Amino acid sequence: MNDVKTGRGVATRRAVLGSAAGLIGSAVLPGGWIRDAAAAETYPALGTFPEGSSGDSVFIGIAVPRTGTYAVPGEDELKGYQLAIEHLNAGDDLIRKISPSTTKGVLGKTVKFGVADNEAKPNTAVQAQSRFISQNKAVMITGSVSSAVAVALNKLADREKVIYLPCISGSNDTTGKDCARYSFRECFYAYTAANAISPVLIKNIGRDKKVAYLTPDYTYGHTVHQSMEEFLKPGGWTTVTNQVCPLGASDYSAFLLNIANSGADVFVNINFGNDAVQSIKQAQQFGILSRQILAVPYITPFLAREVGPDVMQGVYAATDFWWTLQDKFPLAKMFVEAFDKKYGYKPEWGANAAYLQVAFWAEAVERAKTFYPPEVIKAYEAAPTLQSTVGEVAFRASDHQLVRPVVIIRGKKKADMKGTDDYYDVLEVVPGKDLMPKPDVLGCKLGSYT
Amino acid sequence: MLSWPNFLSQCFNGLALGALLALISSGLTIIYGTLGVLNLAHGAMFMLGGYIGYEAYAATQSYAVAVLAGALAMVVVGVVVERVIIRFFYARPPEDQILVTFGLGIVIVELVRLAFGSQSVQIPPPAWASGVTIIGFLIYPTYRIVVLGIAAVALVALYLVLYRTRLGMVVRAGIEDSGMVDLLGINVDRVFMLVFGIGAMAAGFAGIVNAPVVALTPDVGDTILVETFVVVVIGGVGSFPGAVLGGFIAGEILSLTSMIDPSYSQVMLFAVMTLVLILRPQGLFGLEGRE
Amino acid sequence: MIAPTTAARRWLPDLLTAAGLALAPFVLPALGVPPDTANRVVVWGLFGIGFDLLFGYTGLLSFGQSAFFGTGGFTAAYLLINGYLSNVLLGLVVGTIVAAIVGGLVGLIALRRTGIYFAMITVAIGQVFFFLENSPLAALTGGENGLPGVPSPDFNLGFVHWRVQTGWSMYGFLAICFFAGMVLARRIVASPVGAVLIAIRDNPARTQALGHSVWSYKLTAFVIAAAYAGLAGGLLGVLQGFMPPDAFTFDTSGQLVMQTVIGGAGTLFGPLAGAAVWLFLQDALQGALGLGAAWKLVLGIIFVLLVCFLRRGLIGGLRDLADLQRRRFPVTAATRGSSAPPSAAPATPALRRRAGAAAYSGPVLEARNLTKRYGGLVANRDISFSVAEGELRGVIGPNGAGKSTFFKMLTCEVAPTSGRILFHGHDITGKNIATVCQLGLTKSYQVNQLFGRLTVRQNITVAALAERRGAFRLDLLRRLDSVAGLAAQVDETLSLVNLGSRAEVPVSDLAYGEKRRLEIGLALASSPSLLLLDEPLAGMSPRERAETIQLLKAIRRGRTLVVVEHDMDAMFELAERITVLNEGTLLAEGTPAEIQRNAFVQDAYLGGMAAE
Repeated sequence: MNDVKTGRGVATRRAVLGSAAGLIGSAVLPGGWIRDAAAAETYPALGTFPEGSSGDSVFIGIAVPRTGTYAVPGEDELKGYQLAIEHLNAGDDLIRKISPSTTKGVLGKTVKFGVADNEAKPNTAVQAQSRFISQNKAVMITGSVSSAVAVALNKLADREKVIYLPCISGSNDTTGKDCARYSFRECFYAYTAANAISPVLIKNIGRDKKVAYLTPDYTYGHTVHQSMEEFLKPGGWTTVTNQVCPLGASDYSAFLLNIANSGADVFVNINFGNDAVQSIKQAQQFGILSRQILAVPYITPFLAREVGPDVMQGVYAATDFWWTLQDKFPLAKMFVEAFDKKYGYKPEWGANAAYLQVAFWAEAVERAKTFYPPEVIKAYEAAPTLQSTVGEVAFRASDHQLVRPVVIIRGKKKADMKGTDDYYDVLEVVPGKDLMPKPDVLGCKLGSYT
Repeated sequence: MLSWPNFLSQCFNGLALGALLALISSGLTIIYGTLGVLNLAHGAMFMLGGYIGYEAYAATQSYAVAVLAGALAMVVVGVVVERVIIRFFYARPPEDQILVTFGLGIVIVELVRLAFGSQSVQIPPPAWASGVTIIGFLIYPTYRIVVLGIAAVALVALYLVLYRTRLGMVVRAGIEDSGMVDLLGINVDRVFMLVFGIGAMAAGFAGIVNAPVVALTPDVGDTILVETFVVVVIGGVGSFPGAVLGGFIAGEILSLTSMIDPSYSQVMLFAVMTLVLILRPQGLFGLEGRE
Repeated sequence: MIAPTTAARRWLPDLLTAAGLALAPFVLPALGVPPDTANRVVVWGLFGIGFDLLFGYTGLLSFGQSAFFGTGGFTAAYLLINGYLSNVLLGLVVGTIVAAIVGGLVGLIALRRTGIYFAMITVAIGQVFFFLENSPLAALTGGENGLPGVPSPDFNLGFVHWRVQTGWSMYGFLAICFFAGMVLARRIVASPVGAVLIAIRDNPARTQALGHSVWSYKLTAFVIAAAYAGLAGGLLGVLQGFMPPDAFTFDTSGQLVMQTVIGGAGTLFGPLAGAAVWLFLQDALQGALGLGAAWKLVLGIIFVLLVCFLRRGLIGGLRDLADLQRRRFPVTAATRGSSAPPSAAPATPALRRRAGAAAYSGPVLEARNLTKRYGGLVANRDISFSVAEGELRGVIGPNGAGKSTFFKMLTCEVAPTSGRILFHGHDITGKNIATVCQLGLTKSYQVNQLFGRLTVRQNITVAALAERRGAFRLDLLRRLDSVAGLAAQVDETLSLVNLGSRAEVPVSDLAYGEKRRLEIGLALASSPSLLLLDEPLAGMSPRERAETIQLLKAIRRGRTLVVVEHDMDAMFELAERITVLNEGTLLAEGTPAEIQRNAFVQDAYLGGMAAE
């Protein structure tokens, strides 16, 4: 908790700041060095520091899609954030297992947050988070369901010197060529997903198979397609067709007919979000799923719930987290139970990623003993081993990507399901260490700290 | 993917896609032809029809009831919208009509989102039409063949209404010359209300019939609306035969181009539209001089 | 807009704009508005100025402005990021130019149609651009990730070095851009081009008939709007240091339309106000009210309500309110209703003296064997007709005699199926109505074709401009009142049709007789050498009729007139020669006395009358 002394110190600093910055609103004090009471160190003003952490609470800006095609995973993600922040402020056991330095709040300050609809548009996301930064002095901003948003906010974070934590973002670029010093990604992505699922597919389906791809026509789709081809090649798998479809198509019949007539053994569907739901549902209508094995290298949250177990049975997919991992990881069990109790359903992987991101951040700040962003970043980059709902993980200092396992699942038959949310068998939890590309492969060049 | 079986399959698929587009577009075009109002909420009405059908299906588990409820409810929605809002816009410039229906479309989409959330809802095809039908080399979802049939029947029904009934005569007279309707001494008010209802029903009916094919979300009408525009511009705004022919042309373009480069199928649609505009600005069946 | 103002009043709005923009950084923080929001409002406002010129002033509702917003933005961002250009301002200028060029090309296609066709085509074109950005050009545009790393401007003027940074410093730069855009737009609106654009919005057909090349002006407006969009797109990239791919989405165009309508179209400041309202509510509904996803529903409902009840938007509504206040003062009331009988023509307005016309001595207008078929229906059959210099010719005939079609062919509104039309000996068959008007042949309409939302003076000005400036001219920065001879010509015409005292009255407030006189005045103001009047006396009270006959007598001096009229008494009184049409053919021609005596005419005409 905040002690009284700190509180008073804060008040006087605020007064100083207020009068100095009054003329032009939020202007940063030029070269003003401020003594941070908590760290007993002196740091210059940077980003929202020290204004954002000078009171007895700190603010987190959350922007997730709440309208448009990504609204479903967006709402799930939001619940993950809310649970994490609630746990953080209460000093819950779960969060303290992931972030052992945490007692209550972050550095004794209560965590508050604001939520905005980013409509899955980079422009709207930047707009919302800019407001959280300038108006609420957010010490951290977070949230994304698409890489377009994640990449845009990466740039904003580096520019505004405020830490940003993407949530769902499958593009290699987020910690690749568009990586940012101020950004850390928790979740799996195109490269690790393809790398993890390909050997499992070869092992389970056999060698020398013919593959048909349905690839959404944007950079992310093409990236996953290339990675899949690369990692399936050792098994002698060949591509018979790659159907590139526009984003947000409502009818996939023309593409699916081509796939149905392609003579493929395996159908790899790279679509995400509602596009994945639409295309898989329609593929089933074309009888493709009874003749070809469907593989989804980057799964959309709630896919099984939306298309139903009849469609999903036997489907191979790679994911970040599935709730039955609770049988394997005790922290997963705690998380799933707490989430289910609060929201009445099993969390999807977006909620898990959101929860972990907040917890990891709290740990980094506690270790840094200050909210001064470069110190927090350095605490991240020290890459301590962290406990999580998917076992031990660690951030990689060179590109800020979490080295974490990828979970390979397969759709259950309806008859085998124990309960309504029991859609998948967990086939393998592929350790992350071997999945990662070498740090420089994806072209990450981190920016400066200040 | 160029092979004869695939080519023929895609031709057939174009027909199926086209029939649906023709049905939706004919609703848009009839409303415009008669009332002179371009209904930008048409995509939203397509979506709303699907959701109303879904509710009916959830309550009764009957496909037939769902289709009927979706279609009839949309007549009511259409009539209400016409009475409460649209009729005050007949005397206002076309830009105002476009603006108000554009806003209306957003309101309908967001209301549905509020009521149903963003997660998609599913209506299964009726049991007798599930699975696939194999005709020689063509493997095609049975229900999509049914949709083609239903859309064709609906188009014929619309044709009969337009060309064989008194209401249809008035509607067509209105399309030819809006002044003539007044001369015929007809209660224009009631005709307009009915036409808007029928137009909304065409969209809603297509929406519910198409619902088992797609996963229904509040945004499902957005892409359809743009495709409908292209169909109508190609066929000629206000022309029923134009909408039908335009629908089939659009369906075939979408299907056949996918064999060469699928990512360009949408753009090809716009390219053909541009071509039509340059060679025959009023559209294939458009009336010269009518804007 | 068209009314002359003193220099002080002319610059006052610009000064106020500058003051408002300069004060904002000191006022807004106190209201809790962060700089980023202010910056976005300014960018949307600038984007909207161009759109307002297109929609609010010219009446073209485009749902495809995202195409130019994105084009300008990505062009500037690409050039700056990849080091092709290092000067940010230069990058913005190039982006603007590219957007304008693209706008011109798109306009060539989209402007082939008007009204709803135009709206639908722009929607489709917008989609094409989104696709292009996302797929084929992804290597250049970054596809769905957009282009990060757009630099901020840096001005080194030697004595002062301004490095634009985020926050209020960025606001300073954006506000200057907005101000420049606003001043320019105000100049355009106040220019002759602006006057023509407004006329097009009110009545495109009449604008064309008065001799303006409507299509060229529309294309101009379209290109200007695209340029503004391109600049705004470039600034969005600079503002965020990142060019977002969603600049190209339909939602961008839709939001622009909604903001402009909310703020008020046709006001220039409307889009800025609309953007402020939009961004404020977007934040407030989600933040303070905690509505979550429902924010968009609320904004949608607000939009629909505004379209229904306050179509002129917030700024427009305020202006209307101010106008209402002003009208309560009885200043204008005194001048109302004064319709003194027309004085004998005060001065004969300057007649058009065209090169070549003087040397020509044949008939002014000659029609040879004109035939017009509509499908199987023959409206006119083999009519030959000639009008001599200075003549007043009456054309009469029973209903359905084909008078209207005949008249429409003479002014080239309708092309004849066969036959030729010669004007001053030149073949004008199949020429555009605007071209014909520019040659000196125009008509007044049977049903008034006025510019309903403009004042009497503005109406006449539009007509006179065509004669002063030709069919098309890009004098965007010239002030309307500096067009040589324009004011004199307008005043002369006004006094000729006896509307001098009513010059500042909106057309909607005129009495019917006054509107008819204005209708004739529109035709007169373009100083035609041949004036065709289509039933100038239609629907008039006896007093109005007497006044108008006086007017016709006044204007015939020095002019050649052809008048179609039902009112035979008036024709017999006015015309020197009368042509009688019946059932689409020429029945007789002669002096009034001859016609009155003509048995055929009596027979056919009275028979026709009886059959009515």
